[in-house]
Amino acid sequence: MYRSLGFLSFFLRRLTGVALVLYLATHMWVIGSAMQGPEAFDARLAMVQTPFFKLAEIALLAAVWFHAFDGVRLILVNWFRITSFRASLLYAAVVMTGLLTIVGGVPILLFILEG
Amino acid sequence: MENAIVRVQRYNPETDRKPHVESYRVPLTPDTTILDALHWIKHERDGSLTFRRSCRHAICGSCAMNVNGHNVLVCKTSLSRQLTGGRVTVRPLPYLPIIKDLVVDRSTFWEQYLRVKPWLVPPEGKPGKEYRMLPEEVAALQNAETCIMCGACYSACQVVALTKEYIGPHALLKAFLRVLDPRDAIPGERLREVAGHDGAYRCHTIFNCIDACPKGLNPTQAIETLRQLAQKRGWFEAERRERQTRLNGAAPSNGG
Repeated sequence: MYRSLGFLSFFLRRLTGVALVLYLATHMWVIGSAMQGPEAFDARLAMVQTPFFKLAEIALLAAVWFHAFDGVRLILVNWFRITSFRASLLYAAVVMTGLLTIVGGVPILLFILEG
Repeated sequence: MENAIVRVQRYNPETDRKPHVESYRVPLTPDTTILDALHWIKHERDGSLTFRRSCRHAICGSCAMNVNGHNVLVCKTSLSRQLTGGRVTVRPLPYLPIIKDLVVDRSTFWEQYLRVKPWLVPPEGKPGKEYRMLPEEVAALQNAETCIMCGACYSACQVVALTKEYIGPHALLKAFLRVLDPRDAIPGERLREVAGHDGAYRCHTIFNCIDACPKGLNPTQAIETLRQLAQKRGWFEAERRERQTRLNGAAPSNGG
């Protein structure tokens, strides 16, 4: 395996992409239960209100931000011909992902702690 | 005299089932290159060590190898600067079949290169006057012209790792050079080829080719330019034909 910063970014982009698809499937599984009545919906919603799923939501938040920022990074690099900034922009994407995950993740953590 | 441990991946298809790494203690001076170290091993320790090299001046492209996980030309790579804990690891270019030790089979590399017709196809007829180019055009081509075909970018490419059907950054860089050359008469044909299933759109923009290039070239940018030109191939082709007619009085007969 040829290890490089670019490959790490490529790998994370794929990984987060797969995570988003899995989330979408789970989301539809939960929302789709509304067709079977309010009891079925409440029951299925309760299944994903556990601390495990809440922590997974924080991870999902990080995945969404990284996938988005890394995608924007590639668009910028390609269209504005700034390949020399590819590493700096990746670091910026990681920092932005970290900051926004903290901003969005803290309320979720508080929700878990408050039970 | 100081010493360095040089770990070299060895593989003899006649005797070995799979590649293995052997270590050699090599004399180290501030001027020793990795290639010097390999020569020392071959001359003083094991004459069967096999590797490619020719010019020793970073221009022939023969001695591209993988040093500590990165593709480099060993003739211009300082041994002392590559040492980590007094050691350095030299392997053949990744993702290519090994013939013996550090020598890889570059057949697919050259096959893909020929696929883009890397030679210039001038318009028929003698031009009335010299071809004119803008300074920006010359600068863009100069980037691609200095490629020495060492294979470092090709072997670092993750897409090549997955499929040898991919044209590859080296050949796409050459296609870029020919497409943008105002003397070339078949830019449309070239763009059609690179816009195919295994062409420019197969690139995942990982940038390994830029990182690996020992000449500091930018295949990724060339690939992106080809993608953009492929989307307006008809216009680009017509503009080229008109330009050659206007400036040189010679229209291409085989516009692609």
